[in-house]
Amino acid sequence: MEISNELMKDIYLQMRRIRDFEGTAAKLFADGEVPGFVHLYMGEEAIAPAVCACLRDDDFITSTHRGHGHIIAKGGDLNLMMAELLGRETGYCKGKGGSMHIADRDKGILGANGIVGAGHCISTGAGLSIKLRKTDQVCVCFFGDGSTNQGTFHEALNMASIWKLPIIFVCENNHYGISMSQARHQAIKDVSDRAAAYNMPGVSVDGNDPLAVYEAAFEAVARARAGKGPTLIECKTYRQHGHFEGDPATYKPKEEQAAWMEKDPLPRFAKFLEDNGVMTAKEIETVDAQVAQQIKDAIEFAKAQPIPSPESAVVDVYSDIVEEVRVR
Amino acid sequence: MASIGIIANPASGKDIRRLVSYATTIDNNEKINICQRIVLAAQSLGVKEVFFMPDTFMIGCAVLDNLENDGVLKASISMLDFEIDASMQDTVTAAAMLEEKRVSCAIVLGGDGTSRAAAKRLQEVPMLSVSTGTNNVYPVLMEGTVAGVAAAVVASMEDPRACCIRDKRIEVYVNDTLRDIALVDAVVSDDFFAGARAIWDPDRIQRIVVTRCHPATIGFSAVAGAYTIVRDTDEYGYALRFGPGGARVIASIAAGVLTEMEIAEAQRLPLDEPYTFTADRRCMIALDGEREVPVAAGETVTLRVRRNGPWRVLPRRAIEEAQRRGMFRRS
Repeated sequence: MEISNELMKDIYLQMRRIRDFEGTAAKLFADGEVPGFVHLYMGEEAIAPAVCACLRDDDFITSTHRGHGHIIAKGGDLNLMMAELLGRETGYCKGKGGSMHIADRDKGILGANGIVGAGHCISTGAGLSIKLRKTDQVCVCFFGDGSTNQGTFHEALNMASIWKLPIIFVCENNHYGISMSQARHQAIKDVSDRAAAYNMPGVSVDGNDPLAVYEAAFEAVARARAGKGPTLIECKTYRQHGHFEGDPATYKPKEEQAAWMEKDPLPRFAKFLEDNGVMTAKEIETVDAQVAQQIKDAIEFAKAQPIPSPESAVVDVYSDIVEEVRVR
Repeated sequence: MASIGIIANPASGKDIRRLVSYATTIDNNEKINICQRIVLAAQSLGVKEVFFMPDTFMIGCAVLDNLENDGVLKASISMLDFEIDASMQDTVTAAAMLEEKRVSCAIVLGGDGTSRAAAKRLQEVPMLSVSTGTNNVYPVLMEGTVAGVAAAVVASMEDPRACCIRDKRIEVYVNDTLRDIALVDAVVSDDFFAGARAIWDPDRIQRIVVTRCHPATIGFSAVAGAYTIVRDTDEYGYALRFGPGGARVIASIAAGVLTEMEIAEAQRLPLDEPYTFTADRRCMIALDGEREVPVAAGETVTLRVRRNGPWRVLPRRAIEEAQRRGMFRRS
């Protein structure tokens, strides 16, 4: 498969953006500046940028409670994301949704959400909508290994397969459902095995290698656009932090953590780019510096934004449709 | 005491070829089933000890638990003692340990890639390769029970090599340094990253060297097989360079995928004779279907077919020999 240097550079840029955004979010949370919970994508940065590199602006994604990486990779605005994390009025959800509810309809981001396994159903709805509207869009559904034990996973894959919906189910198998290791929460090792039950292709790839992820996603997206139906891609990866910030993750063996840190996708991909003459060390440094500045600007932007007024707490609770019906 | 080893690769049969072709999926619970049948058959014919490669899915432990719970386990089952790396290295390590233990037979479950990894260390112990992978030229698609019978037969023989063939292999040198080996084929492609590892795009293939080839297989060796047949017993391999100007063949390069390719040059490669070229651009050498050895522009690659591979068990010959010796007769 041909992957251009420009594409690889762009994937690296997105990976670096996610890593720095998450590092900053961790620090801000520790400093008490982030209300609510944050669940970081640290260690999984190879996946969303590689998958989203195969998508168009009008394609959809559904996300999870660990959604910052997905939002950034699909083109989410760093300033609005940071403002939302800091609970500011101009954030993506007017400062009332926080980390787990960021959505951007213009970018096809159908929302992060705090309900494990909810994205499966939302993506199926999006896939059905695409089919009914007869467009060639696709929808990517990101989720973790833990959620594949939810009924929603099985219902969604079944329905997507029956109706040949243009959905790419991307399992970010970080080997833990909260604090429960995969070996203890499911009787299979490869989530991709579950595809066979729903008569769709299922593949497992190294989720810490963006090029391996890209190859699989590219083929799956092409398949979906061609009307051939859904695919399940399992990306094997590792959550470098706890389930949420503040979780000391003492349930993860130190040797396991050390082994996965050796496979950290960021330095690994940077080395690949340098070794293969795609980017020089200097160019990588320049990108890193640009991203650091973007994150700094996002914090500056967010901190300058107003806090929502107390009265706004009761605004946007119900949709306009419900409100109109109530008035009538 | 008759002993056998089992290496069951939990990662085989899962790669991208499920997406770009119509390859079979064999889940890990089925691999446990196959291993159970191997153990049951082998112990019925005198195998007393079975060593399993430890793996992330704990296939060996599951076999032990299931057969013990069913009250049908007679042989002793134990796991080879090493720390799992969750990579191909586990197969290499397990093969080295089985070689050191001098077990009577090593059964390897996986695809061509798994057999290749085991063959890096299995030199004296006979290897019986059972297919649970994708493009399976090397391993044989066979029922686990039959594999267990064949392994037990080999374990009972004074000279098991009478039922084996010493396979050829390809040694891959880059700038005169041995980098890796292949059992069936070494394919040079325009790729320069390992990515999803499997190789499937015919438009990117430059050259191929095979130890054997036949049109009744799948994978890129089948392209060579469509041009000429090289058997495992032939004292030569074959090399093809793709490009315009030569014979055009159609071959099954992946499950359900037949593709036409044009052969610019073809040559027989006598054993031990080097096939050398200098890379005019960066490329990747895929070994038995998996991208493994990156090559930079200007580097010199030498591929050499030699008959120094593993001793591969010929299961049908072994079982027929056992029948002749009356091994299956009961008074």
